[in-house]
Amino acid sequence: MSRLAVVALLATYAINAHSEYLYGITGNLAGAGHTWGMNNIGPNGSQGLRVNGVYYQYTPVKNTEDDMLVHVRNKKLGVAGEYIFSNTDDWSGLPGGIPITKGFAVDNLPIELWGDGSIDVEGTGSVTDANVIYSYKYNNDCLTPMSDPSCPGYTEAVLAMMVVDAKGYDPLADGNVTDIIDEKVELEDAPKQEDEEVEEKEKLQKLLSGVNDSILFANVTAQNLLMSSMSLSMKLNSYYDKKIAGGEYEDKVVMDGGELPDNKKGARSGLAQQLLHTEMVSLQYDKQE
Amino acid sequence: MKKVLVASVLLASSVSVIAGDVPISGSVQTRCLITTDTNGVFGNPLPSKLSTASADGGVVPVVRYDVTLADAYIAKVTTPTAFSASPSLSDSVTWTGTTAVSKTSDAAMSGYEAAKVTYGSTTQFDLTKAGSTWFSSTATAVYGVNKSFPGGNYTAIVLAECIAK
Repeated sequence: MSRLAVVALLATYAINAHSEYLYGITGNLAGAGHTWGMNNIGPNGSQGLRVNGVYYQYTPVKNTEDDMLVHVRNKKLGVAGEYIFSNTDDWSGLPGGIPITKGFAVDNLPIELWGDGSIDVEGTGSVTDANVIYSYKYNNDCLTPMSDPSCPGYTEAVLAMMVVDAKGYDPLADGNVTDIIDEKVELEDAPKQEDEEVEEKEKLQKLLSGVNDSILFANVTAQNLLMSSMSLSMKLNSYYDKKIAGGEYEDKVVMDGGELPDNKKGARSGLAQQLLHTEMVSLQYDKQE
Repeated sequence: MKKVLVASVLLASSVSVIAGDVPISGSVQTRCLITTDTNGVFGNPLPSKLSTASADGGVVPVVRYDVTLADAYIAKVTTPTAFSASPSLSDSVTWTGTTAVSKTSDAAMSGYEAAKVTYGSTTQFDLTKAGSTWFSSTATAVYGVNKSFPGGNYTAIVLAECIAK
C-alpha cells in the first residue's frame, strides 16, 4: 500500500516537475581557429539540447579581382559528406575588408546531429576575425532521473528509493539531540563557580530581568493601544454598517394647485422703503440748491 | 390601365436605386527600416576638439539599414554640422565627418563602399541588395582656433534617411 502511494506520488511529481525550455547561446566557437567541435554546447547535464540558430561574422581579406568562396558549415553526424548547416558567401570580384555578419534560424535540430564546424576558404584570399555563435534550447527535466519517467535511469532510481528501510524517527539516534543532552549533563556536573562569578551572574540576571520588565511593559502598553483601537473600530462600525433599504423613494411634499395671491402687506412695506430711500437721495440735491 | 402599370413600374424602379460608397483601404509595409545600432559619444582629446573616433576616446555611431526589397532604396547619411545642444558658443565650430559601410549581411553589399557618393556632409549609398547594412559615421568638431570648448554637455545628430528610388 505504501509502495503504491510512493509510486503515485512520484508520478504526480513527475508530471508537475515538467519544466519549460531554457535558452542560451554559445561563445565564439571559431575564436581559436577555423574549425570547432560541438561537444561542449550547453550547460553540463542539460537534456534534449537543440540548436535553433547560427550566427557568424568574419572579415574577408582579398583583392577585388580574385575569386573566393567562403563556406561556413557543420558536418552532419553519421552521414559522411553531408552538412547539417552550410552557407557559402561568394566574394568573387568583390572587395574585401568589410565584415560580413549573418544569422540563420535553424529548425531546432538536436545536438546529436551536429558534427564539427568549420570556415573553409575556396579560392584566393583568407578570412580574419571569425566569429561563430550558436543559439540553442534545452531543458533540465532530467538533471535528477526521477524528474520524469522518460528520463534515463528513472526506473532504477524509483526502485532504489522503494527499497530504502524507512524506520521511524529515533531522536536518541539523532546526533544533534545527543550532543545537546551531553552538554546539559556536563553543565549539571560542572563544579560550582566562585563567588565573584556568581555575583556577576546575579547582577547580569537583574539587568536582564529589568530589560524583561521593560519589554513586558511595552507589550502591555501596545496591547492596550491595540484594544483601544479595536474598540474604537467597533464603535464606528455600528455607524458604517447601517444600510438603507432599497426601493423607490417617492416625493412626499405635494403643492396644492390654485392661485397664489400677491402679498399686499409686503408690497406696502417695500413701497414705503422705496419712498424713504428716494427721499433720502433727493435730500442731498436739495441742499446743493 | 397599361399606362398606370408602366408608371408604377417606373416608380418602383426609381425607388430601388440606392447609392453607396465603397471604401478601399490598404496598408503598405515598410521595406526599409533604420535602426540605431550604436549611439555615438564624443571624445575630447584636445580642449578645442570633440571627436567620435575611438582613437580620440569617442564612440563611433552606427546605424543599420534593413532592406527587404533590393534595388529600391537609397541610404543617405548626413554627419552633423552643428550641435543640437551645447553651452553658449561665441566662436565658430569647424565640422568634419565621414560615413562608411562598417558591416554587411551579404557579400554582394561589399561594393556599396566603393560606389558611395559624397556631397557636403552627406554620403549616399545605393542599396542594390536586400539585407542589412551597417553604416558608421565619424564626426569631429573643432572650436575656433585652438580655443577651448566651454564646459557642459554637447549633443549632435547624425541624420539617416532611406529614400525610395
